[in-house]
Amino acid sequence: MRWGLTLSAAAVATLLGGCVQVSAPDKPIEINLNINIKQEVVVRLSEDAKDLIQKNPGVF
Amino acid sequence: MSRRMKIVLAIGAALAAVAGGAGAAYALQVDASAQLRASGQAGEQADGYMGIVGNGGADLRAQVESVNIKRRALYTELAQKRGVKIEEAAASTACEIFKTRVQPGQYYRLTDGVWRKRDNTPVPLPSYCG
Repeated sequence: MRWGLTLSAAAVATLLGGCVQVSAPDKPIEINLNINIKQEVVVRLSEDAKDLIQKNPGVF
Repeated sequence: MSRRMKIVLAIGAALAAVAGGAGAAYALQVDASAQLRASGQAGEQADGYMGIVGNGGADLRAQVESVNIKRRALYTELAQKRGVKIEEAAASTACEIFKTRVQPGQYYRLTDGVWRKRDNTPVPLPSYCG
């Protein structure tokens, strides 16, 4: 009886452990609209940005 | 194990990793982000990510999150390549998204945090967009 309890407790622990692992996705993206950026950087990156958008149509 | 064998195995593992990555990218619909914008339930933000307009269901949230995770990976890559912050790569791309991807009737959100619907004029760009 005691063995049974120990075993089922172990089984529950294993299941819970599994659940925790499964429900751990990538961190959610933090939305931060307080953008601190220099125009010079945007201009420098504009060709890269255009390229990125064109090459990844499902993402942009 | 011979040295040659090890090299063959390493190349095999690298190819498998690349194929796996391509497979994952393929799982995303070719026009996922365009469909989300067209639905009116999601829009484009000045931070370079998509956001949910109003109260989205779990399915919508998952779709937006899936797009955003891929964006973050691309922004991270670009930032490393050019030696800038991830946020800078993301915001720079947002300027281009506002110019070319947000169609009339679709939603966008500038730095004031308010969702707006684009009319027949272009999206007003933040000053740093140049």
